[in-house]
Amino acid sequence: MNRRPGIGGLQAAAAARDQYRLLGASVAKRRTDLMKEQLVTFRSQLEDFARKHRNDIRKNPTFRAQFHEMCAKVGVDPLASNKGFWAELLGIGDFYYELGVQIVEICLAARPHNGGLINLQELCNLLGQKRKTAREAVSEDDCLQAISKLKVLGSGFEVISVGKKKLVRSVPTELNKDHNEILEVAQGQGYVTVEEVQRRLSWSAGRATDALETLLEASSCQSIEGLAMIDEGHRDGKCHYWFPCISSISSYVGS
Amino acid sequence: MGCTWCEISQLESLELYFSIHYNIDRQLRSNFTFHHCFDQIPQMSTRWLPAAQLTASGRPVFILGEVESSLLSGVDIEPDDQYPNLSPLKSGILILTTHRLIWISDSSSAFAIPLSAVTHIFSPKKSIKAMFASPRIRIQVLVSPQNGCLDEKGSKSMVITIVVRGKTDPEAFLGKLWEAWRGRAWETLKEESSSSTSTDEGSSRSGIRTRSAVVGVAGILRKEQEMWESTDKSLQDAFQDLNALMDKAKEMVMLAEKMRQKLLSGPSTQGTGTNDEEIGSKQEMQDWMLSVGIASPVTKESAGALYHQQLSRQLADFVKIPLEKAGGMISLIDIYCVFNRARGTELISPEDLLQACSIWEKIDVPVMLRKFDSGVMVIQNKSYSDEEVLARINALVLKPDSLRSGISASDAAMALGIAPAMAKEHLLTAESKGLLCRDISPDGFRFYVNLFGEILTEDIYLVKDYGTYGTWISAVLASR
Repeated sequence: MNRRPGIGGLQAAAAARDQYRLLGASVAKRRTDLMKEQLVTFRSQLEDFARKHRNDIRKNPTFRAQFHEMCAKVGVDPLASNKGFWAELLGIGDFYYELGVQIVEICLAARPHNGGLINLQELCNLLGQKRKTAREAVSEDDCLQAISKLKVLGSGFEVISVGKKKLVRSVPTELNKDHNEILEVAQGQGYVTVEEVQRRLSWSAGRATDALETLLEASSCQSIEGLAMIDEGHRDGKCHYWFPCISSISSYVGS
Repeated sequence: MGCTWCEISQLESLELYFSIHYNIDRQLRSNFTFHHCFDQIPQMSTRWLPAAQLTASGRPVFILGEVESSLLSGVDIEPDDQYPNLSPLKSGILILTTHRLIWISDSSSAFAIPLSAVTHIFSPKKSIKAMFASPRIRIQVLVSPQNGCLDEKGSKSMVITIVVRGKTDPEAFLGKLWEAWRGRAWETLKEESSSSTSTDEGSSRSGIRTRSAVVGVAGILRKEQEMWESTDKSLQDAFQDLNALMDKAKEMVMLAEKMRQKLLSGPSTQGTGTNDEEIGSKQEMQDWMLSVGIASPVTKESAGALYHQQLSRQLADFVKIPLEKAGGMISLIDIYCVFNRARGTELISPEDLLQACSIWEKIDVPVMLRKFDSGVMVIQNKSYSDEEVLARINALVLKPDSLRSGISASDAAMALGIAPAMAKEHLLTAESKGLLCRDISPDGFRFYVNLFGEILTEDIYLVKDYGTYGTWISAVLASR
């Protein structure tokens, strides 16, 4: 572009800038219109889908799981907001949010027993009991979806894997690797002793005792109760550390 | 006092009004969109619509049984030409409920048109002019004959035009308006008290339903069989449809990503004329992304989707009572459960809640979101001060009992009247400020007053007999 000196040059430059701006605005507008069109087509397609398969989604947990997997691959989050198309047309929003609320209630009620860690299987059983009146089956995958949504609220709701089992954490305590390994060892009998930990994981006595003490105490930042319970009166004189979340004691009194 | 938009003073704007208003022919006048300066001139504008009450956070106060049905943004309300002294209402949010049409302006003044005053809703004119202009909805309402103010028992009628300048769907709104108007929810209130006996009879009659006879084991087996068959067949279709749907969704996501880049890049033009449009289209984009299921970012300019803005105001109102009960601070997860339980249906997602809380920074509400180091997020009153709580903890920890055996989280919770988890947060904060010291022992996790500040570095073994150190010594000795 020739830069002419003087007022004429400035005016020409301003005019050129204006032209570019208008062009940019029209391109943007075209893109916006395209998006609007796409959205309308997408919405009508989703409406068709909903009309035919709304009941399937409600009644069939496998289908639901498949649906979520595909959504995740594509990059959309059907549970992101209650105002989205997914929640509106398929009606799954309410189902998961209600599930979330029930999970929070169960976890809070069980916290005095297990300190904030609960077995996923346990959770599903308790949910089933609580939801006896609702006719829709709830699978583990549904629980996982609901819990992954609860994560954003900052109170530490998360699913952690310990060995083969999955545990749901409902306190913001960070469990480091040592704790996880102890929990894995505890899976066999529901309890561990210091010697067992030392033997199986080849740790020093100090390290094992430290980790067990931390799990026992209420010093882990947010939980008032510890995750482990100690039994000092055992016949062989050793201290047994029990983990209610791992063991299959499922006689909690539901709220 | 002057117009907040163009900063013309009231006196000047009066002159402007006169010069434009009376010098132009009546016919032409209706085609001009007046500078909304004129709304500020008190002599010229009469309150021709009844005022609506707003809560402290800018949400309308609903009457008993009133339910919100729809919401439009960027709405003007214009009166009939017959009443030239009535000023139009410009650029507000219109909320349709079962009982009223509530208009809320940006400056937090609100008016309502009760649906009982509406006598007719006109179907939209399909003309060439209508295609290019902003969509208009015209309704006929009853007014009092003297001054044209809205009056349910008025004898004359007037046509009000609702101009939808925002980019939302007026057709759907019109449908909902018809429904709400035909529903006549405001009349059932009066009817209920008089016809309670007749409704009892009606319900008992409808209670006796005939059921198709599917009895016995054969019936159950047949039902099971049918269920399995239908599930199997429909699943095949379902998976196919699902695949097709997901392909489409993939395209949407790619387009949305481009939009989002544009959204996050911020305003690029320096011209003042396009700012309005840009902000409008950014708002639109936020709403679209929300519908498809892609998280819409809350940027500096835009405040997220319109849905979240309304939700955040609703939440600010709702949260006042639980906050009182919990002593000034409540964790986000607790409020999520309480709010959703209160809603019953149309629950909100956790992300909705988080977005709504983050919008509070932009609007003027008395609550705020606070994040602790441990990751716990709480809602607390803005007027809530840490200093006050720390002062109370200080007083608590200097009592003779506490000097001897310290305080635990549950002690603090009982003394301060807040939840134990919150009490623990406060004790930890006090510790990080140097007020308390922790003591971890087999007896548990307790806090004591911090005496290290009192120990002189030159002579660390000196036992002072004044100050907090002295008080501590005397308290401990007294227990022996």
